[in-house]
Amino acid sequence: GIPLIALALTLPWILFPTPSTRWLNNRLITLQGWFINRFTQQLLLPLNLGGHKWAVLLTSLMLFLITLNMLGLLPYTFTPTTQLSLNMGLAVPLWLATVIIGMRNQPTAALGHLLPEGTPVPLIPVLIIIETISLFIRPLALGVRLTANLTAGHLLIQLIATAAFVLLPMMPTVAILTSIVLFLLTLLEIAVAMIQAYVFVLLLSLYL
Amino acid sequence: MSDMPTQQEQDKYSQLVNRKSNAVKSSGPLGAGLVQLSHLHTSPNSQAPVPALPEKGGKTRHGIIPEELFQLLYPKTGVTGPYMLGAGLLTYILSKEIYIINHETFAAACMGTVIIYGVTKFGPDVAAFADKLNEEKVQKAQEVKDLAMTSLAQAIQDEKKEQWRAEGRQMLFEAKRNNVAMLLETNRRERVHMVTNEVKKRLDYQIALQTLHRRMEQEHMVNWVEKNVVTSITPQQEKASIAKCITDLKVLAKVQQAKTTA
Repeated sequence: GIPLIALALTLPWILFPTPSTRWLNNRLITLQGWFINRFTQQLLLPLNLGGHKWAVLLTSLMLFLITLNMLGLLPYTFTPTTQLSLNMGLAVPLWLATVIIGMRNQPTAALGHLLPEGTPVPLIPVLIIIETISLFIRPLALGVRLTANLTAGHLLIQLIATAAFVLLPMMPTVAILTSIVLFLLTLLEIAVAMIQAYVFVLLLSLYL
Repeated sequence: MSDMPTQQEQDKYSQLVNRKSNAVKSSGPLGAGLVQLSHLHTSPNSQAPVPALPEKGGKTRHGIIPEELFQLLYPKTGVTGPYMLGAGLLTYILSKEIYIINHETFAAACMGTVIIYGVTKFGPDVAAFADKLNEEKVQKAQEVKDLAMTSLAQAIQDEKKEQWRAEGRQMLFEAKRNNVAMLLETNRRERVHMVTNEVKKRLDYQIALQTLHRRMEQEHMVNWVEKNVVTSITPQQEKASIAKCITDLKVLAKVQQAKTTA
C-alpha cells in the first residue's frame, strides 16, 4: 500500500495555521479566530470570574476533540478517541480537578450540591448517597460516552461499507445501502456535537 | 531580512506590538492566553515589517489542484495534459494494486460526496461571511479615521474663523476707543460750557452790581441837586420867574392870535 503515514504526518499541520501577526488575515484564519472567540464566549457565559481561568483549557480541549473526531471520519485514519484509555485519561483528571477545586475553595457549598433543594426530610440520607454515587459516576460517564459514540459510529460505517462493497456485484441492494451509509456519515459529522456535549458537561461540573 | 531594522523602526514596531498586545488582551476571552503567545516572537528579526500578503489565495482548479500545475504542463502537453496525468496515475495505482479497493474506498466515496456537497453548497456563504468579518474590522478603523479627519478639518475651519474674528476685534477695539474718546470729549466740552456760564454769571453779577451802584449814585446826586435847587429857589426868584412866564404866555397868545387871523 501507499505510505499513508507520510500524508498523515504532514497534512494535519495545514488545518490550523498559527495565528499571524497581521491585523487582517486570510479567510481560514479569520474563520477559525471567529469560531474560537464565539465558542469561548458561549462557554464562559455562566461562569463567574474564577471560572475564566479554565477558558484556554476548555477551548483547546474542544478544538482537540473536534479535530480528532472529524479527521477520524476520513478513510484509513485512526481516531484516538475511540480508545477508552484516552477518554478516561481526559475525563478523570479534569473531573477530579473540578471536585477538588470546589472542595478547597468552598467546602460547604460543594458538599451542599450533593443535596438538591426542597427534599422532604426523611429522604435526605438516601438522597445523599444517591448524589454521591452520581458524582463519582460522572467521569466514567464522560469518558465512556465519548468512546461509545465514536466507536459505534466508526463501526457502523465500516460494517455498512463492507456490506455494500460485498454486495456490489448484486446492484440494487447496494444502492439502498449506499444511501444509508451516506446518511450515517452526515449524522456522524455530528461527532462535533459530541464534543459540545463533552465540554459542556465538563463545564457544568464546574461549580466554581 | 538582510539588514537589521534601525533602532527607530525597532522602537516603532515594538510600540506597535505593545499596542497590538493590548488590543489582543482586551479582545475577548482568550486574550490572556494569546498575550503569552505573542511574547514568543519578540526577537528583532521577527519584529521587522512583514511583506504584504496577496489579496486572494492562489488560483486552484477543482478546488484542490493549483493552477500552476496546469500552466506548468501546458507547453508540453496542452490543455488535457494534467488530466491525463491524473488518469494515468490512478490507473497505475489501481492496476499495480498499490491501492486496493476495499470497503474503505466505499466509505471514502460517501464521505467525499458529503464533503463536496457541503463545500459547494455552503462554500460561498462561508467565504462571504469571512470576508464580511474582515470588512467590518476595516470599516471600524476607517470610521475612526474618517471621523478623525472630519473633526480635524472642522477644527481647521474653526481656527481660521477664530483668526478672522481676532482681526475683526481690532476694528472693534478701534471703534470702541473712538467712542470712549468722543464721550470724554463731549464731557469735557460740557464742563467747559458750564465753567464759562458760571464765570459769566459771576461777571454779570458784578456788572449789575456796578451799574446799580452807579445808578444809585446818579439818582442820589440828582435828588440832591434837585433838592438843593428847589431849596435855593428864593421867593423872589419865584415871582420873577412866574412874571416872566406870564409875559411869555402873553406873547405866545398874541402870536397865536396873529396866526389864526392871518
